[in-house]
Amino acid sequence: MANLNGAVYGLTILSPIIDDKTAVPSHDLQIREYLASLPTGEDSPFAIAPGTHLARLVVMDDVIYVGMPACEEHLKSKYLVFESNLDGSLESYLVGLAQSVPQHLDAIWSHCVGYPGSTPIPAFIQYMKACQLETTFFFAAVNDKSVTQTLRALQTQRAVADFIADHQGMKPEQLQIEFARFVELLKSEPAPRPGATTIARTMTTGGHNE
Amino acid sequence: MSKLNATDIQGFVLRGYNLPLARYIFLHFKDPERARKLIRRLLHVITTGQRWDQGNKPPSTVNIAFTHAGLVGLDLPIATILTFPVEFQQGMKARAGILGDTGASGPEHWDPIWRDDRVHAWLGVNAQTPAALEAACADLQKLLDETEGAVIVGSQDAAAIVLDGQPTTKEHFGFTDGFGNPDYLGVERKTQPGQGKLTPDGKWVPLATGELLLGYADEAGELPVAPVPHLLASNGTFMVYRKLHQNVATFRQYLNEWGSAYPGGREKLASKFIGRWRDGTPVELSPDQPAPFITQDPSRSTNFTYGNDLDGTRCPLGAHVRRVHPRDAFGFNGRLVNRRRITRRGLPYGAYAPEGEPVLDSEDRGTIFMALNANISRQFEFVQQQWINYGNDAHLGNERDPLMGNHGGKGKFVVQGDTTPTNPPFICSHLPNFVELRGGEYFFLPSITALGMIALGVVDPR
Repeated sequence: MANLNGAVYGLTILSPIIDDKTAVPSHDLQIREYLASLPTGEDSPFAIAPGTHLARLVVMDDVIYVGMPACEEHLKSKYLVFESNLDGSLESYLVGLAQSVPQHLDAIWSHCVGYPGSTPIPAFIQYMKACQLETTFFFAAVNDKSVTQTLRALQTQRAVADFIADHQGMKPEQLQIEFARFVELLKSEPAPRPGATTIARTMTTGGHNE
Repeated sequence: MSKLNATDIQGFVLRGYNLPLARYIFLHFKDPERARKLIRRLLHVITTGQRWDQGNKPPSTVNIAFTHAGLVGLDLPIATILTFPVEFQQGMKARAGILGDTGASGPEHWDPIWRDDRVHAWLGVNAQTPAALEAACADLQKLLDETEGAVIVGSQDAAAIVLDGQPTTKEHFGFTDGFGNPDYLGVERKTQPGQGKLTPDGKWVPLATGELLLGYADEAGELPVAPVPHLLASNGTFMVYRKLHQNVATFRQYLNEWGSAYPGGREKLASKFIGRWRDGTPVELSPDQPAPFITQDPSRSTNFTYGNDLDGTRCPLGAHVRRVHPRDAFGFNGRLVNRRRITRRGLPYGAYAPEGEPVLDSEDRGTIFMALNANISRQFEFVQQQWINYGNDAHLGNERDPLMGNHGGKGKFVVQGDTTPTNPPFICSHLPNFVELRGGEYFFLPSITALGMIALGVVDPR
């Protein structure tokens, strides 16, 4: 199925933005402003709602005319583009969003044509599905693991490496005791929160190097 | 692809001279007209890529490259100046955040010459003997005096480390260096397997010329980003100059401490750091001991891949040579690495401290590292940022290159292992900085034609 890459679902939604000449500022500008103010990291709506690996919200004004010999074309409307790589079924994901971050959904999608609001949930789901496009070809760089599994695996990797570094060379009997203690401790630790920064990177990233 | 015009390309680009001595002279232009006059005179001195007849190696060579400020100082048209790639216009200091040149390697700790933005040009002099070096430098000084085209704001001597009376290719940590620069289409040189790119059937063939030289198609079939006019860029390249200080005392002390805990022993741990034993034997080919018969065999010394060692039990995933030249380690027949290759030049500087003799980090020694590439951002900066100071591509999370990484005392290096008693998994932690940056800059290394255009003031961007 073209919306699936392994267990990860690739969601593509295009919602037409309301074209109202009397709105000041225009609806697309209002969406842009809200998106620009959305928190990233732990407070991101996609960190609060369950199941998002990676999500992107973009206002698409029009197709860009690149000059001859391309022919000049235009979209019928401006669109809000929502792309997400998610765990589980589409319905359960949308329910999660509507239940966890309805205020953000409403603030963004209320500028879109026909948006019924985040409640009642069945109408919300129906609307989102009506705006959905088949994703066709996509790549989810998540090793086919869920968000929670990924966060847990990274936590385990770091902890085990630290454990080995601190205990290598120890007598086997003592090591076994220490290891059992370590495993219990690790099990009892909560999984890291999505969007949380575990290790600060001192390097400037971004640009076309990555 | 036909043969390149070696007479139009600076020799430094096409080949490592393999001359034991070098002096890198840094110039500052005061007056554009006088500076152009100097370059006009230098035109006849610059060493080109023309081949030398057997036994006819010159006693010395001279090459030249310019910083962006230098090109401005030569009064190139503004419409040309603005077409150079952004990273070159910004210079290496402004890119410190991207490169991970922070902390002890940060610009605030660099040598004054690299902090005060006065370097306009690099003159690279290589020589066979001290007398030849001094003679070449005296000739250059005479040209500077006669033309008053530039003042020398600093210079850097470098020399091959001499052991038992013979210049070697060792660096200060004691490893044989300088293996395996890439081959490029059209560049004539003695070639050996492992130096170009991998084909699906496992053969090594030259990389596209445009990975090294401006004006030719690169691995994506595109022309590298280059300044206008085409003639100014063509047959030229970009050079990254970095003065890398080596903390030899820290390196030896760390190896002593962690090597005594590692069941494979100190030398094996050292080889796991680099991916080569001290004599250059690839760990991938000989994981248990150095093998001189491999290093001395050009058909083998650079001829290996990591496809049968995806767990890194022979050569660790994070070993220096595996990080900076992953070969087939990322799959796809190596195609993910073909646009990230760089050609390296350079020599050690400072006195060599033999193993077992007292040594201090504060002593001035290290490596002058110079990288040549068509696109600094895509090639050198990517390698530095993603493969040296990050670990994601190698499935190593936030880990950095054990040797070159900017660890700040918090680094970690995982030595993958197996059930062999002398090759167990092992983790080195609290890695300090073995290498620190003391400064450097990005340079444009033009063709002979372009040098002539600059000298005559006929660079025309229209």
